[in-house]
Amino acid sequence: MDRETELTLVARLREGEADAFDEIYAAFNKPLFTFLIRLSRQRDVAEDLHEETWLRLVKHAGRLREDTRLGAWLFTVARNLHVSYRRSRALEESAAASLFGLWPFSVRETSPFEATAANELERRIERALANLPAASREVLLLVGVSGLDQSEVADICGITPSALRQRLHRARELLAHALDRDLAANPLVLEGVPSCPTR
Amino acid sequence: MSDPLIRRLGELPAAEPDVARADHIRTRCHARLARQKRRDLVASTPASGRVAPAWQLAIAVLGFVYLTEVIRFALAVYGLT
Repeated sequence: MDRETELTLVARLREGEADAFDEIYAAFNKPLFTFLIRLSRQRDVAEDLHEETWLRLVKHAGRLREDTRLGAWLFTVARNLHVSYRRSRALEESAAASLFGLWPFSVRETSPFEATAANELERRIERALANLPAASREVLLLVGVSGLDQSEVADICGITPSALRQRLHRARELLAHALDRDLAANPLVLEGVPSCPTR
Repeated sequence: MSDPLIRRLGELPAAEPDVARADHIRTRCHARLARQKRRDLVASTPASGRVAPAWQLAIAVLGFVYLTEVIRFALAVYGLT
């Protein structure tokens, strides 16, 4: 979406036009939901946060600044909703931790993408991504999936561009190590990849 | 982003909510936008231009008639009319 179209849509949304909302929804629905489902790793959670993000947009429609960048606005809200969700979950989990400690088997969550990934390489990346710490996953998804530039991602995360570069570098290293470990543990021939030398 | 690993992330399959859920979201958002639009319209109408509902006018007229009648009766009791 070019900047001129975006500004027109913002102006129309401020006027409460439902058609403008539909156009914005069509443009950002997929990347936003993809970001949330990979971040939360649970479809039902992603669906709830996704819905709440859109409701926040229409709630604040009349108060949006004329020069609002819709992508950055939506991803900021989605990211903040996920942070709040994680905090509330952390409180619940700390309360339940003593009970789970009694359970003799570890529960390994499979991400929805991992289960449906089209090929082995995608499956490995999904698995590695799903097992990264949330902060690393967040920054990789925002830079790699959302299509936003790095200064916007830094704003969304509430950090400086240089801090973002450091966080991104660390997250990228973690992802690469996770992929290496996965490859060492499951040395299968990757579909479509003729040879894959181990490091 | 020139990093092939991060570029690969962007090439992973996208997801979207199922159709029923997407319709539900759009319906809720449209309803909220329409509600806000109505509210903004009412708020932007000048107070002098607004017409009070008929029942409020009727109560005001009846109250005025009643009070006038009470005062007239009181004055008559004290022989002031």
